[in-house]
Amino acid sequence: MSTWDSLLLGLSFALQPQVLIYCVLGVLLGSFVGVLPGIGAMAAISLLLPLTFYMSPEAALIMLAGVYYGAQYGGAVASILLRLPGTPQSAVTTLDGYPLTQQGRAGLALFTAMISSFTGAMIGIVVLVMLAGWLSALATRFGAADYAMMMIFGLVAASTIGATRPVKGFAMIALGVLLGCIGTDVNSGAQRFTFGQTELLDGLNLVALAMGLFGVAEVIANIRNPERQKTAARISLRSLLPTRDDLRRIPLPILRGGALGSFFGALPGTGSTLSAFLAYATERRLSRQPERFGKGAVEGVAGPEAGNNAAAITAFTPTLTLGIPGDPIMALMLGALIIHGIQPGPMMLEARPEMFWGLVASFGIGNLLLILLNLPLIGIWIAMLRIPFNYLYPAIIVFLCLGVYSVRGLTFDIVLVAGIGLAGYLMTLAKFSPALLLLGFVLGPLIETNLRRALLIARGDPMVFLERPISAGFVFASVILLMLPLWRLRRRKARAYEDSI
Amino acid sequence: MKRTTTLRLALASAVCSLALPASAQNDWPSAPLRVFVGFPAGSSPDVLARVVTDKLSERLGQPVVIENRPGAGGVIGIQQMLVSAGDGHTFGTTINGPMTTAQRMMDDTGFDVAEDIAPITLLATSPLVLAVASESGIEDLESFIAAAGAEADALSYGSVGQGSGAHLTAELFAAEAGLSMLHIPFTSYAEVTTSIIGGEIDAGFMAPSAALSFVEAGTMNVLGITSAEPFGQAPDVPVIAGSAGLPDDFRAELWNAFIAPAGTDEAIIARLNAEITDILEDPEVQEQMLGMGWQVAPGTPEAMAERIAADTEMWGAVIDRVEAQ
Repeated sequence: MSTWDSLLLGLSFALQPQVLIYCVLGVLLGSFVGVLPGIGAMAAISLLLPLTFYMSPEAALIMLAGVYYGAQYGGAVASILLRLPGTPQSAVTTLDGYPLTQQGRAGLALFTAMISSFTGAMIGIVVLVMLAGWLSALATRFGAADYAMMMIFGLVAASTIGATRPVKGFAMIALGVLLGCIGTDVNSGAQRFTFGQTELLDGLNLVALAMGLFGVAEVIANIRNPERQKTAARISLRSLLPTRDDLRRIPLPILRGGALGSFFGALPGTGSTLSAFLAYATERRLSRQPERFGKGAVEGVAGPEAGNNAAAITAFTPTLTLGIPGDPIMALMLGALIIHGIQPGPMMLEARPEMFWGLVASFGIGNLLLILLNLPLIGIWIAMLRIPFNYLYPAIIVFLCLGVYSVRGLTFDIVLVAGIGLAGYLMTLAKFSPALLLLGFVLGPLIETNLRRALLIARGDPMVFLERPISAGFVFASVILLMLPLWRLRRRKARAYEDSI
Repeated sequence: MKRTTTLRLALASAVCSLALPASAQNDWPSAPLRVFVGFPAGSSPDVLARVVTDKLSERLGQPVVIENRPGAGGVIGIQQMLVSAGDGHTFGTTINGPMTTAQRMMDDTGFDVAEDIAPITLLATSPLVLAVASESGIEDLESFIAAAGAEADALSYGSVGQGSGAHLTAELFAAEAGLSMLHIPFTSYAEVTTSIIGGEIDAGFMAPSAALSFVEAGTMNVLGITSAEPFGQAPDVPVIAGSAGLPDDFRAELWNAFIAPAGTDEAIIARLNAEITDILEDPEVQEQMLGMGWQVAPGTPEAMAERIAADTEMWGAVIDRVEAQ
């Protein structure tokens, strides 16, 4: 069967009314929970799981997937308007999205985010359809050494974003890595920094960390500084429309972000986080005015949003073609299939082509629905900022607590969020970037685990990092990135020397 | 002021109405049952629990609510069950780890299995299969043992973590076969599978359901299974016991069980044991569980207590050996 026939089969399946309705339900619910601070796709999908017992497995998967990528759209709204990212990848969107809101250009930021999300997802779909086989082989070709070096490359590339000074960015990454050490060490089974608390055995709760650093910190900052509350009044509908200059800036970042996201998304694990940070770093490096970043550059919204939405689509490749879930939410979706007696695995694509292609077709339909739904909603989202802050902030705190509690059902995590929030506020005062802390927190433990695993497998031979081509490639790229500033510095000095003569 | 008093009264009466039925089992269950599961929604233990609780709620005429409290290998679920204990409507399901090995692996689990847990019944057991990449060319247990025995740590194997069933089973197997293999801990079967297929590590003891689809696709070979008898989901896989020089009583199984907090009324435990045993005898339920890699294993609370004691001893000996290395 040709790709075209398969796609038609998928479309005819996904367009059946009883399937379509679940797709609509999924994306609606997804974009709704995505907007609620702290309550993400994971909580929504867990809640929906029992319902899927009574649906066909294909419809169940299409609905749950809709929640998954729909939440990406909603997540951007909370990040841009309130600086409340639910995930590390939407934390990147706050870097330039929130400054735009403060300048009264929230409409533009949301419009950019929506268009980028949609286009990014479409790029992801095209890549998925064209390269599904190649992408699924990627997952097994990456070994521990390759992952370790890829993530180190990610850290190096992203180390300066969002920070006023490189040393501050580096400090935040290091702190994130240290916080990531809390919990049970995978390699040795040792318990680190847990102080005998069972709640800490699996490490700090990522949602609690993100919500504390951004959400609670932001609420405290706004209460202390009433000036910040005036932004809402300055937003007019006119500010929604992008200027000619804005429109010129958006397309290329979207394409680059979409390409990066499509590639990294297909790798199980951190694909979507890495792609958002890398997309942002790429835009900043390529920009002629890197100083605009962090102060409301639309490219800084377009690139990462396209990247994480493309990644949200290609992340389904290993899950569906190999039965290997890339993240806990994917594992949950596979659980829904197992309940129906479908064993996820490499045979699924052959045994149930209508499921795979129906899902792919539903990605297209779902994203089309999302953009049609979300563009008109921009006005309403902005109106949210006009809610008096003495009502809005308590509501935000309530949702934060609900969201954090929904992950593990532990009151411990709510206390944690309060403590982290205070620390986060102090960081904001000192102009440290919490986004980089999150990146370090996510990547640090994975780098450590993979680095040690690679050495263990290689029986202690460090040459393994240079012998494997993928790993060696990332080592090479990291070294170049590190040398680049030195080289520029030398050139500038040389030029200064020539000038002086 | 008056409003707070009313609220307090209402709360107090609500608490009383929850606590009362525990002493009057005639009308038990009088409220929805809560079943704590120490793993996330959609995970294998969660799905298994849902199959049982779905039927249980029909039989008891009360909703049975699954409370997912994932973390620390299932230990947090049990801790949370014990926190809410005392109303006669709080229960839990657990895998073998928290009942047998967790006390050895963690500083403090916060509970004592013998004192704090009242067994109700085993739900199901799952053996593990020894899997290798088909590219390795290893097709049976003899050639695997020959390859692994060539020198110490000649082969590496993956597990789902230090002290996990997959790790301890492999160590038990290595000890019985007189081998030494290099342990590479991962966090999920998905990672172990990827690593075996990618040729990075050589082998792994895996849940049958995690390996079988790759056997079908021709990328993996399974060499043996750790149950005493051939397993329904994979009848062609030979049992390890008694083959390739391994002892006849070689057996290693993961299990899943239904538990109550200690102090739960005997009559309630007996009623639940009877209902669940009945549910597990339903061929439809058996087939559904087999599809997920679980063989139903209903029994008495006493039999479960014995299983806990026997497994704690067996795995304790393996942990001793690993720690001595």
